[in-house]
Amino acid sequence: MSDHWRWQYWPLRTKLLLLTVSISTLGILLVCTSLVVVENRTYEAQLESELHVIADILAEQSAAALLFEDSQQIKTIISSLNQIETIEQVCVYNVSGDVMSALNGTGYEPCPSLDVEPEVGFVGDYYRLLEPVTLDGDIVGQFYLMSRLEVLREHIWTFIVISFSVGVGIQVLLIWVASRLQRLISEPIVELSSAADRISHEHDYSIRVPVYGKDELGSLGSAFNEMIGTIQQQNRKILQSKDDLERTVAERTSELSLANRELEAFSFSVSHDLRQPLRAIEGFGQALEEDCRDQLDNTGLDYLARIRAATVRMGSLIDGMLVLSRVSRQAMEIDRVDLSAMLAEIVEELQDTTDTVPSEVTIQPDMQVVGDERMLRIAFQNLLENAWKYTSKNEKRVIDVSACEERNSITIALKDNGVGFDMKYVDKLFVAFNRLHTPAQFSGTGLGLATVDRVVRRHFGRVFAESPIDSGACFYVEFPRPERGAESGLQQQATRQNRREYG
Amino acid sequence: MVKGDCSILVVEDNPDDQILTMRALRKASSHSPIILQEDGQAALEFLFGTESSKRSPQVDTLGVILLDLKLPKVSGLEVLRRIRSSQQTDWLPVVMMTSSDEPQELREAYRLGANSFVTKQIDYSKFSEQMCLLARYWLTVNQVPMVGSSRSF
Repeated sequence: MSDHWRWQYWPLRTKLLLLTVSISTLGILLVCTSLVVVENRTYEAQLESELHVIADILAEQSAAALLFEDSQQIKTIISSLNQIETIEQVCVYNVSGDVMSALNGTGYEPCPSLDVEPEVGFVGDYYRLLEPVTLDGDIVGQFYLMSRLEVLREHIWTFIVISFSVGVGIQVLLIWVASRLQRLISEPIVELSSAADRISHEHDYSIRVPVYGKDELGSLGSAFNEMIGTIQQQNRKILQSKDDLERTVAERTSELSLANRELEAFSFSVSHDLRQPLRAIEGFGQALEEDCRDQLDNTGLDYLARIRAATVRMGSLIDGMLVLSRVSRQAMEIDRVDLSAMLAEIVEELQDTTDTVPSEVTIQPDMQVVGDERMLRIAFQNLLENAWKYTSKNEKRVIDVSACEERNSITIALKDNGVGFDMKYVDKLFVAFNRLHTPAQFSGTGLGLATVDRVVRRHFGRVFAESPIDSGACFYVEFPRPERGAESGLQQQATRQNRREYG
Repeated sequence: MVKGDCSILVVEDNPDDQILTMRALRKASSHSPIILQEDGQAALEFLFGTESSKRSPQVDTLGVILLDLKLPKVSGLEVLRRIRSSQQTDWLPVVMMTSSDEPQELREAYRLGANSFVTKQIDYSKFSEQMCLLARYWLTVNQVPMVGSSRSF
């Protein structure tokens, strides 16, 4: 059986109607039943008194005949009762209890003996009475009468049929009136319910319900309206602040992308326009040194060499700033990167171009990360160049690169046996233009590790370092682990980042 | 005419760079004629002529063009595009020269058909070495097709 046939699924209207109908049906049934009972009693009493009157009259008439035991006379007297169809049997007894005369209905049994007191009153389908016949105060005989009750029964049946027909009529009328009247209660509730339904489905908070009267339903309706009004107002406020927020974000984004474009133009200008005069200074310095060497003394030549060296240093500073700005703003292209192969290439280049310190470089094979290959190359080039540089005063250079994979991350550790750094200044290590060594000790721009930090941050990773006393330095680069589908995940993040920055 | 007699066209607007480039090139290849044009417009007039004048006959002797990327009036990339779109010059080797190393420019230059892309080094020794390598490669190693009557062995 479907759930919808259960009581709790019935509409309120039906429930109200059913309630009214069942109460009125019960009332009408009770009224009809009591009417029938009363009518039955009344009719019985009437019948009883009528039969007693008849019996009294006949007993009186037949008293004298009884005294003289004139049964013929008695028969004549009681035969007048033949006209009354419902009278089944009449018996007249003399004082000693013998039947003097009897009037029997068709095929009915003989008169009952008076030796045993016969049943009287309403028994089964008959009414029986036994009356003494008196004459001047003396009992001269007994009068027995038995009457069928079919008239009474017919009357009661007719009464039942009529009263129940009237009851049904009244019930129909009541149902009609109830179905009209129940709307007074059900309609506001149904409207309230359908309004609540529409609001929750369509999220249209401008819907209001009509308020009927001042009763509980009326106050329910107005409370509902007030509540929806409050929600609508709050919604409007929320939407407004959302709009404001979006507008602010859009403004900030456009400001940011404008700033980015300006930065781009600025760094292009730096790269092009600042380098050109530097090149001229350096070029003419060398030209001077080569072409006019004879006209300069040693001091002049020393100054010239210093000018050229400073120029070249400034050139590398500009280059460093350019790389840093480029890794900060460049759109990322995410792919799987074979870090081991990349590191091997970088080490090969370093071995080709720099000092003659014997090197022992160990790179763990098959290290894989996910990211932008060009940026990662810049970062690891910086890290390896650092390791190379700070081991350049060693007798032997030992560099070890290994990976440690954890559940959510992969950490690349670059360990060298160089001069290391003072752990006191570890916080300054990755800040641009902060150097922990003088140019006389080791050359550098102070931008390399800042660039590394920027690249790693753009890969949602982190870089940190430690330097145990007298055992070189160790740099750790931690990336989110390249799980299955991580490329697409990082790609999505990078795309969002790209869109945000270049909007 | 021997291969070493091919000339070099330098398109460079900055006077300092002109002098430094010429100096380095002269040291690298003392006998090759070096032609200098000071901006993109002048370079185009030299290569294609104008309504009133014909193109320079020296074009036929060119072995390589060293074209600065950032030029006033007509940019280096535009000059490159014009060179590549004319049948008279589309064979000419063009080396793009620039102070910066912006990846977008590099890509665009190659897309338009540059043969080589060189970032001018601040260290003049390195710059001289670059010029030396360029002159040696493009004038002595590289082969260009013969154009016009003046080119013969």
